[in-house]
Amino acid sequence: MANMIMASSKTLITSPPTPKSNPQPPPQPSLSLPAIPTTKPLFSLSITPKTLATAAAVAASIAATPLPSLAEEFEKAQLFDFDLTLPIIAAEFLFLMFTLDKLYYSPLGNFMDKRDAEIKEKLSSVKDTSTEVKALEEQAAAIMRAARAEISAALNKMKKETAAEVDAKLAEGRKKVEAELQEALASLEKQKEETIKSLDSQIAALSQEIVNKVLPVK
Amino acid sequence: MNVLSCSINTLNGLYDLSGVEVGQHFYWKIGGFQVHGQVLITSWVVIAILLGSATLAVRNPQTIPTGGQNFFEYVLEFIRDVSKTQIGEEYGPWVPFIGTMFLFIFVSNWSGALLPWKIIQLPHGELAAPTNDINTTVALALLTSVAYFYAGLNKKGLGYFGKYIQPTPILLPINILEDFTKPLSLSFRLFGNILADELVVVVLVSLVPSVVPIPVMFLGLFTSGIQALIFATLAAAYIGESMEGHH
Repeated sequence: MANMIMASSKTLITSPPTPKSNPQPPPQPSLSLPAIPTTKPLFSLSITPKTLATAAAVAASIAATPLPSLAEEFEKAQLFDFDLTLPIIAAEFLFLMFTLDKLYYSPLGNFMDKRDAEIKEKLSSVKDTSTEVKALEEQAAAIMRAARAEISAALNKMKKETAAEVDAKLAEGRKKVEAELQEALASLEKQKEETIKSLDSQIAALSQEIVNKVLPVK
Repeated sequence: MNVLSCSINTLNGLYDLSGVEVGQHFYWKIGGFQVHGQVLITSWVVIAILLGSATLAVRNPQTIPTGGQNFFEYVLEFIRDVSKTQIGEEYGPWVPFIGTMFLFIFVSNWSGALLPWKIIQLPHGELAAPTNDINTTVALALLTSVAYFYAGLNKKGLGYFGKYIQPTPILLPINILEDFTKPLSLSFRLFGNILADELVVVVLVSLVPSVVPIPVMFLGLFTSGIQALIFATLAAAYIGESMEGHH
């Protein structure tokens, strides 16, 4: 395993066009000049069971021979193989860039920008209405305050009026009552005086009578 | 010796099963030139996936996005964010480049990890992620180089070359060297990561065919995404760097 990994990692390092010096040709029949790139690679790792026996021989020779020859075995595997693929990929990339720009970046980007602008506009307009709403609210509060003041003023006025009325009536009633009282008192006094007067005369008569009865000198 | 050959036999059988074929290509000939057929086939599939899904999702955009449109809006926001962070306020014209860079590499990498390419047998070589091939990564890296040169020249005219003697003319060789190391590092980073990831998975599968490779596969998905992001971010950073003013 270690050998295999070493070998495959060896391919990473080998530069492709090293000349081949191959004294003993192992099982692969298509071992030919390295300059022809279309030839099958020397070492194909997909080995069918038929070739297992030969693979064993290869493995034996691999294990026996030092590493540099291993590198030669894998030489055809080219990691750094630059060819027309490079410009084709570049062209494909440019094509993809322009097409994606037409299909994706520009339309969706514009759409998103427009939406952003719309949302911002809506937001700012909403902010404007909020000031409007505030003004309206203030107005409403002012109206309410005025109405309340009016109502309380009216209430106060009414209270005052009724209080004055009540006071006036009360004063009148009191005056009437006083007058009646005065009258009653006056009549009482008069009656008292009369009775006292009458009593006085009666007292005089009685005392005369008593005197007459006590002193029957005559 | 005998034991060794036997073990190698069984290992060969396992390799047959998992089919490691490193650096094997399915060659086509186009006008006397060779191309790697397997790379082109998979890249077409990737392009088809991208174009198809984008067309389906963005065909009729709704004010309140749902499902696919939502996802693609998120992706576009992400790309714009990356471009804006790296390039600055003038990122607008570069969104398609950065975005396509990211999406192409990302879908390529994930297709190598998720799509069962190995089911389709090629006469030679095997289907894998397009980014598994050095041609693809070098093509993308060279396009990035062209892009940042274009960006700089477009923005500052010939004054762009003044950056080579900034901050002091002594750094001229290093500044020139940078133009070579940038695409080199970009392409080899991507290529090496993707190839190594696939190799690790294949070797692990050949050793322990079940359960054990699964975490490594997930790790592979993670690194694939990260690599796509790194490539796109670096490309954007290079473009931004060549556009920013040295006063």
